[in-house]
Amino acid sequence: MLLSVRNLHVKYGNIEALHGISFDIDEGEIVTLIGANGAGKSTTLHTITRLPPPEAPRVTEGDIIYQGKSILKMPPHKVVSELHITLAPEGRHIFGNLTVQENLKLATYARQDTDNIARDMERIYDLFPRLAERRKQRSESLSGGEQQMLAVGRALMSGGRLLLLDEPSMGLAPVIMYEKFRALKRLNEEDGITILLVEQNARIALQFAHRGYVLNTGEIVAQGPSEQLACDPDVKAAYLGG
Amino acid sequence: MEIFFQNIFNALQWGSFYALIALGYTLVYGVLLLINFAHGDIFMVGAYIAFFVATFLLGSYGVIDPGTFTGPVIVALAIPATMILTSLVGVALERIAYRPLREKGAHRLYVVITALMCGLLLENGNLALLGASRKRFPDLLEKTVFSLGGISVTNLKILVIAAAIGVFLLLHFIVTRTKIGMAMRAISYDKFAIPLMGIPINNVIVFTFILGSGFAGLAGFLFVMSYPVLDPYMGAIIGWKAFIAAVVGGIGDIRGAFLGGFLLAFVEIGVVAVFPSTLRDLLAFSVLLLILWWKPTGMFGMPQTTKI
Repeated sequence: MLLSVRNLHVKYGNIEALHGISFDIDEGEIVTLIGANGAGKSTTLHTITRLPPPEAPRVTEGDIIYQGKSILKMPPHKVVSELHITLAPEGRHIFGNLTVQENLKLATYARQDTDNIARDMERIYDLFPRLAERRKQRSESLSGGEQQMLAVGRALMSGGRLLLLDEPSMGLAPVIMYEKFRALKRLNEEDGITILLVEQNARIALQFAHRGYVLNTGEIVAQGPSEQLACDPDVKAAYLGG
Repeated sequence: MEIFFQNIFNALQWGSFYALIALGYTLVYGVLLLINFAHGDIFMVGAYIAFFVATFLLGSYGVIDPGTFTGPVIVALAIPATMILTSLVGVALERIAYRPLREKGAHRLYVVITALMCGLLLENGNLALLGASRKRFPDLLEKTVFSLGGISVTNLKILVIAAAIGVFLLLHFIVTRTKIGMAMRAISYDKFAIPLMGIPINNVIVFTFILGSGFAGLAGFLFVMSYPVLDPYMGAIIGWKAFIAAVVGGIGDIRGAFLGGFLLAFVEIGVVAVFPSTLRDLLAFSVLLLILWWKPTGMFGMPQTTKI
């Protein structure tokens, strides 16, 4: 087991956002958390990445175990630099005043294996040729889809082995979205990157992931292999439009 | 003609002081979007640290025998010592006053007011500790006058101007070419994503304060070498002026702070060359007001908060 979330209760202020959820991810898997807006999907990712206060959700019960150890006491930058868990956040959060190349370089800030950085950079440009064409441009001048690719590229450049993706399909034209998911599939199959995908678009998420969990107002209500979830009548009715 | 060139060198010297202080304002603003109103008083503290380090090395406190070091050696030792000690004061301020507010998610307005109060605390703390009597900075360098084709300039002026240019080039290199410089630029754009890159955000902020306060310490040292009288309020006016210079240059941009400092000095000296010196600040600030009226974000300013 690479990551194991156990009976996690999380509060924002006085409001409980997660009421004891549990799920596991094995190395090399693609797992998806699907659910409607406000179900607690982003909260789950922010709890794993240990965002600093005041944004941080507060864990009141339960634990997050990564490679056998609890990570709840870790500062957020060490989750990236020591555990190699990285998040491509919703809304991209790229550094628009830096160039594409600078964004990717900045992500290597804490990496010790300097020899591999150039190789990884080439890999990103190989997966996302659009970024290679625009490497010298200020990244705020990129289109929304390209910025999303940059956000994923940056998460990988920081040395991520477990990649958390928050709504990667949001606001993308279908062509760009499929291009992006193909690149993510290659990352999983060729580079062995484990992926936890949070999506409102359940259809694409279940096509892409091996397994899935359905989150509804802070609780997991269904789980199983993607094909099975996609056929589940309740899931179909609630998330796949019948 | 002689007087004209004297004025040019005076303006370059004052511009260097303003620029060195303005760079500290702009660095902190560029990273935290915080106007660190205590910065002028950090400059004052730097001047006092310079005084105590210099008199210590001269043998005033009985630790070192008087005459152990010559003047130039003292300058060479005291400048880095002053910069390091002053940067510690800046870091302490960040640690004690600004960080707790930031970590509780306080609105920037409260942090700015805190900075203003910290400046007053430094001034009045100094007054309580050392009293109101002014101190005189010792003469460390023998004055040498170089003359080039009728234009004479002192070694001290050359040192001051060279220091400002050197600091600017160093900062420009750090901000544009190094990873920590990139992180400094990135923080102001999106603070949320910084830890997601594996970057300990507080280290970058501390580094920013080290740079800004260290250069204020350098400015304090060079200032009291040139104008050797110290008092607790010496940082107030020059700090305000340097802040205004940074804003006119485009706050958040180091080129703006540098050129803004020199612009202010040239306008001031230019006014005094033509009008009675009592009109200096009135006319100088009117000119700066016109510049802001024409370009509200300053010479290098961008409409968005995307700078350093």
